[in-house]
Amino acid sequence: MHEIALRILLAAGAPPKTIAERAADALPSDPLLAAALIGGAMIGVLTFLTLLGLVLIYAERKISAHFQCRLGPMRVGPHGILQTVADTVKLLCKEDIVPTRGDQPMHLLAPFLSLGATVLVLLVIPYSPLLHVADMNIGVLYVTAISGFGVMGILLGGWSSNNKWALLGAMRSGAQIISYEISATLALLVVVLFAGTMSLRGIVESQEAGWWIWRAHGVGIVSFIVYLIASTAEINRTPFDIPEGESELTAGFHAEYSGLRFSFFFLAEFINMFVVAALASTLFLGGWMPFHIGRLAGFNQVMDLLPGGGWFFLKVSSIIFLLMWFRWTFPRLRVDQLMRLEWKILLPIGFVNLLVASFVVLYNFYPFPTEITLP
Amino acid sequence: MSNVDFADIRVSQQPIAGQTVPVAVVPRIRKQNYFAQIPSALQTLWSGMKLTIGYFLRPSRIVTRQYPENRATLKFPERYRASLRLEKDENGLYFCNGCRSCARACPNASLIVKTRKGLVTGKNELDAYVWRMDSCTFCNACVMACPTGALRMGPEFESAVYDRRLLIYTLNRHAGPTPDQMAKLDEEARKQVVLEKRGPYDGPVPLAGVAYPNIRPIGPPPSAQEDNA
Repeated sequence: MHEIALRILLAAGAPPKTIAERAADALPSDPLLAAALIGGAMIGVLTFLTLLGLVLIYAERKISAHFQCRLGPMRVGPHGILQTVADTVKLLCKEDIVPTRGDQPMHLLAPFLSLGATVLVLLVIPYSPLLHVADMNIGVLYVTAISGFGVMGILLGGWSSNNKWALLGAMRSGAQIISYEISATLALLVVVLFAGTMSLRGIVESQEAGWWIWRAHGVGIVSFIVYLIASTAEINRTPFDIPEGESELTAGFHAEYSGLRFSFFFLAEFINMFVVAALASTLFLGGWMPFHIGRLAGFNQVMDLLPGGGWFFLKVSSIIFLLMWFRWTFPRLRVDQLMRLEWKILLPIGFVNLLVASFVVLYNFYPFPTEITLP
Repeated sequence: MSNVDFADIRVSQQPIAGQTVPVAVVPRIRKQNYFAQIPSALQTLWSGMKLTIGYFLRPSRIVTRQYPENRATLKFPERYRASLRLEKDENGLYFCNGCRSCARACPNASLIVKTRKGLVTGKNELDAYVWRMDSCTFCNACVMACPTGALRMGPEFESAVYDRRLLIYTLNRHAGPTPDQMAKLDEEARKQVVLEKRGPYDGPVPLAGVAYPNIRPIGPPPSAQEDNA
C-alpha cells in the first residue's frame, strides 16, 4: 500500500515542498510588502466570492423563473440585474438573532466554517493555464477532505441552534454527506487512475488528447453521471435538499439564522455549486483544455481561438445550468429513498466501475495517451 | 414508463349489495428488477427534464404580466368579477326596475335598492342603487337573481381608497324609468320625464353630503368612469 501511495505521489512530478518553503518562495522578504500582498489577495478573494454569489443567485432566480413560465426579478435595474444586490443590502441590515438557549459561540462559528471550507476548495481549482492559486500533488484528496469539512458547519449550526427542526436538518445533512461522499470519491478515483496523478493541473494536462468522459471507454461516462448525482446530494440541492426541506423542517439547519450569518450559509451553498461544477469540468471535461477531435488540425485550430479560461467558464456554466435544470425539474426524495439510492444503487455501480477502470488501466486496453483513433 | 399499464385496466361486472356494478380491476404493480430499474429511472428523469426545458426554451409561454406597465393592454377573462355595474340600453336608460331580487339574494346585505314612484309613469322606478363594496364577497348571486339582466360583473379592479366608507357606491348615474316603461309612454309624456342626476356618493350612505378632511377617493368609482367617458 505504501509503495502505491508513494508512486502516486511521485507521479505528480516534483517532490512536495513544505509550506514554509513555498511561502518563502511566493512572498517577498520585506514583511510590510508581504502583508500588503496577503491583504490584497484577501480582498481579491472576497470580491471574487461576492461577485460569484451575486451572479449565481441572479442566474438561479432567472433560470428557475423561466423553467416555470415566469419572468423572475424584473424591477431593480434592467431585467432585475440589481435585485441580488438589493437583497444583499437588506440581509446585511437585518438584525442578527442568536437564540438565548442555544450554544452561542458554536452558533456564531458555524457559518464561517461552512463558508471557509468552500473558499479553501477554490484554492486548488485550475481556472486557466495562468490562473491557478496553488497546485497540490494531492489535489483530489484535498478537495474531497475539505468539502467533507463543510458539513461541520451545517452540523454545528443545526445542533447549536437548540431547535429540533434545525437539529433534524443538520443530522440529515450529515447522514447524506457521509453516504454520498463515498460515491463521489469512487467516481473521482476512476479519473485519478486514468490520469495517474492526483494533482488537478496534472489531470487537466493529461486530457490534451481527449477528455476523460469519453476517452475512458464508457467508464468515464458512468463515473461522470455518478459524480453528478452524488455531488448534487453533497451540496444539498434539490432533489436531495432534505437538510433544508422547507415543507417538513421549516428551513432545516439554518432555521435559527438571520441576517449576515444566514447569508454566509446561503453564499456557501451557491459557491459549493460552482465548486462542484468546476471539479466536474476539471476531472471529466478537460478543465481549460479546448475541445479537440483527433487529427482534424483545422477544427482544432478554430477551437484554440478561445483561450483556456473561456473554455473553463463555458464548461462550468453549462454544468451549473444542468444542476439548476435538475433542481427545477425533480421532486425531493424521501430520506429512505435517498439512502436506498446511495447504498443499493450508486455505491455498487461505483465499485464495479472502479474495478472495470482498474482492469482497463492495468492491461492497457485503451490506445491513449500516445495515439487517438477517429471514430 | 409507469409501473401500471393503463391498457391493462379491465372493467368487470361484480355483484355488490344486491346489484351488479361495474368495477375497474387494476392489475398488481409489477416490481421491476434491479437492473431494469436503472435505465427506466434515467428515462423517466429525462422525460421530466425534456418537459421543463421545453418551457425554458419557449419564452412565449410565460404567464407573468407586468402589471402597472401593461395597464393599457390588460386582458381579462369574460367572467372576471371585480366590480358591479348596472346595464343600460342604447338610450342610456337603466334596465333595473327596482324589484329588489338582488338585495334579497345578497348573502351579506351589500345591496340597498331605493325606489320611488315615477312622476310621469306612476310606476315604481329606481331612485338609488347602493352597492357596499366593503362587505361584498363577489359571489355573483345578485347577477344570477336579476330577472331583467340589469346587473353585470365588470373587470375594473383598481378600487383602492383611503377610507372604507368610500367603498359604498351609488351605481346609477340618474334616477328614472326603465326602457320598458318609457316605451309605453306617448311622445308628450316622454318629454316630461326628467332623469334626476345621481353622484357616486349620493345615496343613503354615511358619506352622503359630508366632506371628510384629508380623505378623498382615488378616482370616481368604476361605473362612474364609464359614464363620464
